[in-house]
Amino acid sequence: MLSRNAQNLYWIGRYLERAGHLCRLLRLQSEVLIDRPVREIHFGWNRIYSNLDREPPGGSVDLFGDEDFALADSYALADDLTFERSNLSSVFSCFAMGRDNARQTRQCISPEVWTTLNTSFQKLQLLDMPSVWQGEPRFFYQETESDINTFGGLTESTMYHDEGWSFLQLGRYVERVGGVCSLLNSQIEISGLQEDGEYFEADWTSLLRIFHAVEVYHHIHKADVVPGRVLDLLVSDPLLPESLSRSMNLAMTEIDNIGRGPRRHSSRAVQRLTGRLSSLIDNEWPDSEDRITLLREVDEYNNELHFLITAAYFEYPVQDRPPAWMGNR
Amino acid sequence: MSFDGYQFDPGVYDEMFQAEGTPREHARALHNALDRMSAEELAGVQGRVNQTFSRESISFTVYGDAEAEERIIPVDPIPRLLTASDWQGVSDGLTQRIRALNFFLQDAYGECRIIDDGVIPEDMVKGCPQYRPEMQDFAPPNGTWVAICGSDVVRTHDGFQVLEDNLRVPSGVSYMIANRKAAKASLPRLYRANRVQEVEQYGAVLQTTLTELAPGGKSDPVIALLTPGVYNSAYYEHMFLAREIDAELVEGQDLVVRNGILYMRTTDGLQQVDVLYRRVDDEFLDPLVFRPDSLLGVRGLIDAAQLGNVTIANAPGTGVADDKSVYAYVPDMIRYYLGQEPLLQNVETYLCRRPEDLEYTLDNLADLVVKRVGGSGGYGMLIGPHATQEERDDYARVLRSDPAGFIAQPVLALSRSPCLIDGDFEPRHVDLRPFILTGRQTRIVPGAFCRVALRRGSLVVNSSQGGGGKDVWVLQDEQQPPGDAPANTPGDAA
Repeated sequence: MLSRNAQNLYWIGRYLERAGHLCRLLRLQSEVLIDRPVREIHFGWNRIYSNLDREPPGGSVDLFGDEDFALADSYALADDLTFERSNLSSVFSCFAMGRDNARQTRQCISPEVWTTLNTSFQKLQLLDMPSVWQGEPRFFYQETESDINTFGGLTESTMYHDEGWSFLQLGRYVERVGGVCSLLNSQIEISGLQEDGEYFEADWTSLLRIFHAVEVYHHIHKADVVPGRVLDLLVSDPLLPESLSRSMNLAMTEIDNIGRGPRRHSSRAVQRLTGRLSSLIDNEWPDSEDRITLLREVDEYNNELHFLITAAYFEYPVQDRPPAWMGNR
Repeated sequence: MSFDGYQFDPGVYDEMFQAEGTPREHARALHNALDRMSAEELAGVQGRVNQTFSRESISFTVYGDAEAEERIIPVDPIPRLLTASDWQGVSDGLTQRIRALNFFLQDAYGECRIIDDGVIPEDMVKGCPQYRPEMQDFAPPNGTWVAICGSDVVRTHDGFQVLEDNLRVPSGVSYMIANRKAAKASLPRLYRANRVQEVEQYGAVLQTTLTELAPGGKSDPVIALLTPGVYNSAYYEHMFLAREIDAELVEGQDLVVRNGILYMRTTDGLQQVDVLYRRVDDEFLDPLVFRPDSLLGVRGLIDAAQLGNVTIANAPGTGVADDKSVYAYVPDMIRYYLGQEPLLQNVETYLCRRPEDLEYTLDNLADLVVKRVGGSGGYGMLIGPHATQEERDDYARVLRSDPAGFIAQPVLALSRSPCLIDGDFEPRHVDLRPFILTGRQTRIVPGAFCRVALRRGSLVVNSSQGGGGKDVWVLQDEQQPPGDAPANTPGDAA
C-alpha cells in the first residue's frame, strides 16, 4: 500500500491509543477526587505528568496544599490534560491528530470507523472543562474511553485485515508499550518498590485500577498488593490485555503480517529489534535483579523501534532503482 | 405543511409547478406527499439529511476563511425531479458535445484544421492562457483528452442550455452520490414510490472508463488519484472517488518518475502507476514543464505521458476548450467535426474581444452577467442587475483595459425548485451538473449534482458563494407516473 497511507494509519493507531491511555489515567484520577485523601490526589497528578514527561501548569504539583487547593488545582490540571489545544498530549489534541490522520486516509478505513471517530471528535469539540466539571468528570472520561474502545472494536470488525489494518494495529501496540513502560517507570520513581510505608498498597492498587486489573491480580495472587507482583502482572502476563508482553507479541504478529518491505535490511532490523524487546520482557524480566534499568531499556528500544519502522516502510529513500523486473516499456 | 405560501413566478420555469398551485404531472406524487407532511415531519427529514452529512463530514473548504476550513455543504432535502425524456435530451446533447470537444482538442494540439478553415480564430486558441504548447502532437489513448467532464446545464422556459463545460478537474460528483444517500435516508418511501434511476454505480463506471484508457490496453491497470492534499477544497471528493475506484490517493510527494515511468512509493517499494486521475491543475503537474516551483506534481510526469507509459486523465491542456471565449464556438465545433446541429444550445455569449460585443456589453452592463474568461467558482464576475452603479463603473474600467479577458451573457432566469427554508417551502434557483465519462465510449450516470442558490433571489449557485445542493431524481418511465409508496415501506410519513 501507499507508504503515506500506511504511515497515517500507523499514527491513527498511536494517537487513539495515546488518548485512551490518558483517559484511563484521568478516569481514575477523577474517581480519586471524590473520596480519597489529598496526598493520593497529588500522587495521581504527579504520576500522570511524569508519565507524559510534561511540566504541569505552574511548574509543579504542590504536595502540601490543603483540600481546597488540591481540588482547585485539579480543575486546572484536568483542563490542561483534557482540552488544552496547545498541549499536544491532551486528550483533545490526540483525538484531533488521530482524526486528522484518518481524514487524510478515509479511503483506507471503513465508513463505520470514520463515522465513529468523527462523531466522537465532534462531541469533544462541543465540550469544555467547565461543562465536564459541572457534571461527573469520571463519566466523561469513561465515555471517551468507551468511544476509543468502540473505535478499536470497529477496526477489528469492519476493516479488511490487510496491510493497512496491520499498520494501524502496530501503531496501537508500539504506543501501548511506550505508554505502559513510561507509566511503570513513573510509578517506581514516585512510589518506590519497597513494600513498606503508609501508602504503598494504595499507590500500587491504583495502578492496577488504571488497567482494570485489580480483580485479575487478586484472582491470580489471592494476596495483598505488593509492587513486585503488580509489575510482574503488568509486564509479563501474556493474557492481560495491556501488559507489555501481550502488546509486544501482538506487535510482532503485525510486523510478520506486514512483510519484508522495500529494503530487506531495514525490515530485518525491525524484526530483530522486536525479537530483542520480546526477549527482554518474556525471558529476562522474571530473573532480572535490576528491573528499573530493564524497563528503561524496553522504553528506549521501543522508541528506536518506531524510527526503524518509519525508515523501513514509510520514509525510505526513493533514489533506489526500481526493481530489475520493472523495465522500461 | 402546505405549498400555500409558495411564490410562483410565471416568468421563471419552475421544476415542480406548471402554474400556480398546479404541479407538473411527474412531480404530482412528490408534491402531494410533501403537502401532507407536518412541520415536525419535514423538520425530521431535514434533520436526517443534516445528520448524514455531519456524521460523515461531507465537506468542502472555503479559501481565505480560516474559521471555515472544513465546512459541511448545505443540503436541501427536497429532490429535483427530471422525467426520463428530459434526461435523455440532456444526455444526448452532452454526449454529442463531448465528442466534438475531444475532436477539437486533438485538432488544436495537432493539425489545427479548424483554425485553418477559419472556424475559430487562431489567437483565440493559441493565445488562450490554458493552451499548453508543450502538449503539441500529444496523442492520448483513444483520442480521449477529456475523460471526465462536468457540464453546467440550466433550464429556462426555452429549454435546457449549457452554461459552461468543465474539462479540467470538474468536481461535485461526490455530492451527487452523498445527496442521494441522504435522500434515501430521509425520504425512503417517496424514493421507492418515484422509481428513481440509480447513480451509485458512478464509481464503477469511472473505473471502467479509466481502465479503457490504460496504456497499451492493459486490462488491470494500477490507477492512482492525484490530489493536492487535505487542504484542497475538494479533498473529500478526492478521498471518496479514490475509494470508489479502488485507487490509491496520492500526492506529489508519493510519486517519482524513473526512466520515463511513473511510480508511487508503497510499503513494498516503488510500484508502477498506469493511469493517473489527476485533480491537480495543469500548471502544477510537472515542475520540469510547467511551474518550476510546484510541489504538488511530479518531475517528469509529462515526459512519461508523452512516452505512452502513463495516461493522465484529463490530459493536460484541456482547459483551452473550456475557456469562456472558446465556449462560444462549441456549437460551431459540433457542426464542423460531426456535421450535426447541436442538440443542446449554448447561452448567448458576447465576446468582449470583438469591438461590437464590447460596445454592447458596456451599454448594457445593468442587464448582463460579465465573467472573466479564465474565471471559475463564481469569483470575479459581475451580475449587472444586482450590482450598484459604482460597481458597474469600476467593472467597466477593468473591462476596457482588457476586453479579451471577458465575456458577457444575458442574465438567465434559471429555473427554480422548491426548497425547505426555515420550515417553509420557498423557490430557489438551481442548475444541474451531470458528469460525462469517456473512455472507449461515452457514459453518463442518470443524475447530477444540482446546485442551489440558497439566498433568496440569488442566481449564484457556487458552493463557495453560499450555494448548496440537492438530489436530482431522474425518473425511470414517464409513461407510468409515480404512485403512492407501498404501505409497508419503512421511513417517511408520506
